[in-house]
Amino acid sequence: MDINKHNTHILHRFEYHAPVTVKEAVKLLKELGSEATILAGGTDVIVKMKDGSLRPRHVVNIKQIPGLSGVKETPEGLWIGTLTKISELENSRVIKEKLSVLYEAVRVIGSVQVRNLATVGGNICNASPAADSAIAFLALDAVAQITGPDGDRKVPFSEFFTGPGRTVLKDGELLTGITVPREVNSWKGHWARVARASMDIATISLAATAKMEGRVVKEIRLAWGTVAPTPMRTENVEDYLRGKKLEQSIIEEAASLAASSIKPRDSGRSTGPYKRKVAKGFIREALTRFAEA
Amino acid sequence: MHKQLIMSRKSDYITVGKDTQRKDGVAKVTGFEKFASDLSLPGMLHMRLLKSSFPHAKVLKVHTEDAEKLGAYTLIPDEVPDVKFCPRLVSTPEATYKDWRILSKKSLYVGEPIAAVAADTEEEAQLAIEALKVDYEQLPAYFDAEESRKPGATQLHDAIELKGTIINPERNIACTLDLQEGDVDAAWKECDEVVERTYRTNRRYHVQLETKSVLVKPEIDGGISVWSTTQTIHNTRLLLHEIFGLPMGKIRVYKVPLGSSFGSSIQVNTIVPIAVAMALKTRKPVKLTMTREEDIRDHVSYNMIFKIKLGAKKDGTLVVGHLDAILDLGSHQIQAYSLLGCMAGWWVSLYRLKAKSYKSVGVYTNKTPSCAFRGYGNPQVSWMVETIMDELAEKIGVDPLDFRLKNYIGEGEIFWGQGPTVKSVIRSCGVEEMLKRGAKIVDWYNRPKAGSQTGRYRKGLGMGRGFHTSSAGAPVPGTVVDFSGAIIKLNEDGTIDYITALMDHGGGTLEAHAKIIAEELCLPLDNVNVISADTSTTVYDVCTHASRGIYSGGGAALKVAKQVKEKLRTFAARMLDAEASALSFRVDHDRKQGVIYAEGIKGREVTFKEIAYNARHKNWGTVAAVDSYRQPACPPHFTSYFIEVTVDTWTGKVKLDRVVAGADVGTVINPKLAAGQIHGGFAQGWSMAVMEDMSYNPKTGDLVNSGNLTDYKIPYPRDMPDLEDFEVFFVETIEPTGPFGAKGIGEGALNPVAGTVANAIQNALGIRFYELPLSKERILRAVMEKEGQ
Amino acid sequence: MKITINVNGKQQRFNVEPHTLLLSLIRDEMNLTGSKYGCGIGECGACTVLLDGDAVLACMMLAVDADGHSVDTVEGLSDGDKLHPIQQAYLDEGAVQCGFCTPGFIMSTKALLDKNPNPNEAEIREYLNGNICRCTGYVNIVKAVQSAAVKMRG
Repeated sequence: MDINKHNTHILHRFEYHAPVTVKEAVKLLKELGSEATILAGGTDVIVKMKDGSLRPRHVVNIKQIPGLSGVKETPEGLWIGTLTKISELENSRVIKEKLSVLYEAVRVIGSVQVRNLATVGGNICNASPAADSAIAFLALDAVAQITGPDGDRKVPFSEFFTGPGRTVLKDGELLTGITVPREVNSWKGHWARVARASMDIATISLAATAKMEGRVVKEIRLAWGTVAPTPMRTENVEDYLRGKKLEQSIIEEAASLAASSIKPRDSGRSTGPYKRKVAKGFIREALTRFAEA
Repeated sequence: MHKQLIMSRKSDYITVGKDTQRKDGVAKVTGFEKFASDLSLPGMLHMRLLKSSFPHAKVLKVHTEDAEKLGAYTLIPDEVPDVKFCPRLVSTPEATYKDWRILSKKSLYVGEPIAAVAADTEEEAQLAIEALKVDYEQLPAYFDAEESRKPGATQLHDAIELKGTIINPERNIACTLDLQEGDVDAAWKECDEVVERTYRTNRRYHVQLETKSVLVKPEIDGGISVWSTTQTIHNTRLLLHEIFGLPMGKIRVYKVPLGSSFGSSIQVNTIVPIAVAMALKTRKPVKLTMTREEDIRDHVSYNMIFKIKLGAKKDGTLVVGHLDAILDLGSHQIQAYSLLGCMAGWWVSLYRLKAKSYKSVGVYTNKTPSCAFRGYGNPQVSWMVETIMDELAEKIGVDPLDFRLKNYIGEGEIFWGQGPTVKSVIRSCGVEEMLKRGAKIVDWYNRPKAGSQTGRYRKGLGMGRGFHTSSAGAPVPGTVVDFSGAIIKLNEDGTIDYITALMDHGGGTLEAHAKIIAEELCLPLDNVNVISADTSTTVYDVCTHASRGIYSGGGAALKVAKQVKEKLRTFAARMLDAEASALSFRVDHDRKQGVIYAEGIKGREVTFKEIAYNARHKNWGTVAAVDSYRQPACPPHFTSYFIEVTVDTWTGKVKLDRVVAGADVGTVINPKLAAGQIHGGFAQGWSMAVMEDMSYNPKTGDLVNSGNLTDYKIPYPRDMPDLEDFEVFFVETIEPTGPFGAKGIGEGALNPVAGTVANAIQNALGIRFYELPLSKERILRAVMEKEGQ
Repeated sequence: MKITINVNGKQQRFNVEPHTLLLSLIRDEMNLTGSKYGCGIGECGACTVLLDGDAVLACMMLAVDADGHSVDTVEGLSDGDKLHPIQQAYLDEGAVQCGFCTPGFIMSTKALLDKNPNPNEAEIREYLNGNICRCTGYVNIVKAVQSAAVKMRG
């Protein structure tokens, strides 16, 4: 990073666009391609614009587009609009009651002030491997709704992220919403996270959901943050657990399996071993909780 | 129910010891208080700095053409006075090492200013900075004090100026100090138990909330007006006079409220001489507020490597110690030499050592220059001492608290204060009462046995104690300048104007001065006006640091108040036709005046307003006094902490469960603000113990956090314990040399905290740590090692 | 771009560039310097203002995004000489030291108490967890919020 480009006092000038329909936004984004940056809540984009790593020639502010915000029950499941503020998710009773793991994930994002600005779509599309809402959505079998110049498409979250900061979104495409399928509404959920305190300390988070029958696992999802280039699921651990009764030995085995399955960078600062150890604890915690009545 | 301020003694004073609404309070809560970063002037230019991208490089040339084409003014090293200086003028010349330049032709740390631009807007200035091109010649760089001292290492400085002589810092050694007292060899022979350990401290950034700012206005007479984030307006003026040669009467440095500092503005900030140079070049007002990322690279605490050996007898008597200290001071000296002496002083003033030896060396590295950070080495030394005292107590088989009680240096004993040339006798000390009371509250003797716990969550209770000097006063002059001055005058309405150069960083020291004056003169507190001032309208105050605001500054206010009192008495005697010595003072809250009266004689009294009326109409003159004052001592204020934690052995997270803090600061003048100093000092100490670390990437020479506050966490509201779990009590002693018996508090509040936290964690886990911070990762790794995972 | 913002109860018209931050508009254009720059990246809360009653960070918002909305800063809280109960509480409890973080904390407090007039201590700390203070250790600040809450409940 060029320290002389880093200036958090100001933004540099850009061409500003504020489309009022999805169609208009898509057209604009297709035309401008890599010269445009989408601005939603701004909590990620504005930081990047200030540190010199992002100097877009065009900024497309999508907040004026109606119909992209809110939490609605639909036949497919719960729909969450891309422009829904994180604070709205936090304060939504239906989210708290039905998708507790999403509720737990978003209420730790930033601060009250950040949550009043940040949008769930921005959190997802910024595609940090630590993106809290994305990890929760991954554990909820969520599906991303995308609109682009070639029409609409749906992409399951397990396929949405392609690398750190990268998604399947093509030029001109816009995430319009997320749908969480009806089935997972009744599942149990558990969220755990160790937050950063300095560059030496790793962030690691786990969103776990499970459909239980007594102490037997019928279905389970284990989604992790900051243990790989993108949010990831440990499907091998899920496969191991499916159909099993959660006893101490099974929980321990799953914990060890999870620790060896996550892919954190084993850098010189040995964050790898730390994360693996914490991951074990998270799994123990989650499964012990699922095993309770 | 909140267990808060339980005072040991009742105060009979009018305002001393009472909570009052601080005089600058309304401005602060309404947003009208203007800090340096809030100021602006018409026609002002915005300045931006070009910062070195390399930790060690010659700046061969700065190409300014493209920036000038954009319409910006530029400033390069060749255009500024070619002088070396030290930005901190607290020490006398023989202890003031000068290795700084205004703009460097050889950068010694990533972020060092090498050029500047100014333009009408910040945006234009930023583009101008990006249009500058620099030819660098990179040189080898060192980020570790042991590396930069190795034979063959490139020398970072070639000539340091020290009082007219030139010093060549070979092997990057900036300064050294060795001391010895007592027969050390014989003393080691007396010991039954010896502990020897190496401690490595972290490097911490002040995170003072206001980033460094300066506004300079060139005046028509060739002089300058300066507003900046400073802890000393007079030293700012002195330094600018030294560098630029302007007559002192033409340099006016104004007092501006400071958005906290914690020692980072004892020295004149790097941006100030640069802004002055730019203002003189452009003949326009120039402003610069550092961005946070610039500020993070601008100043930082010192870090040290300590090798300490401590010996004691089996009856629990401490006997002797040896300390080897390596001080990593970064790339320029601010006050390293003084610190070497102070570190020794902090160490030997905690516990009685019959004999002690000390070897210390200050070493240059290619990192941000270190400066004082609340405690000035005492937090680091106290962490080391409080940890090793626990370890030695364990080895001997004595309770660590009892070990402290047996060996602490207290009333009637000599203590070293601010280094070996400043010795005085302690005349007020509440340590025993403080420790015993705290111990009782937490049921100290029934705490868990260290290392006996299993399971995921483990609780621990630790204790620690410390002190700091109140100011750097002494009976004889030394190498540290320490005196204050005050001007007090009577207004025609009977109110008092109090004019001082002393800065308040927010702790409430000026509030205390107002109370001291009101108390002495028997005035309602509202009748004392604390006047905002500048270098032209005040006499010298050295600096607000070293926990000297109330003790020294308040001492000066008291001295001058007494002089005004005598003048008032004389005028009153004239008016009342009475013996001056028979008159008394009292406060009249109904008339809102100070009153002087003849005891026992009804009606024979006069208000201050009436005195002022007469003084003016009868041409007696203004009732006023101006004087300076040096405290003949620097009495220790003492603190103690008992801390309960819970360690999560699955994540390494440490949760703060409970804090019981005790303090002896002499007379408490502002109760809630004094408690606030303890709360704030504790939070900084907690943070020092478990969170903060400014580490460097040896490949780039830049901070690992890249200047991002996101990656330098300090405590937020949720990180501190609940109100009912944070108890503060004061043991009120009376310091005979302090104004109304008061001592300082600011630094004592922080010093022992990290050691206490380390001891609490040791109690929970049975593991001792010798390197800060005690981060989650470090704790988890240690637990895994201990339990064979 | 021409925008209209209701600032502290008064409709105001501005002509701003799209890249102007709301904090710059407030501080430089309107000379309301109570809201501070502390970090520029949303970590410290010193620039906290209320947008339609919600606490937000002015350093992270474009001024144009406030068009048609209301913005409340600390300067708008007092009524002439009379301090708002929150301001008075901060003074009474010794919660103001250097004062740099104070406006941000006061605005976060207002947002909290307007939405939750009777918060418990955990809720207070949680809500204020986006504001840094390096001076006070937060003890007197929490007490001030509790005291203000009592006063405001009447």
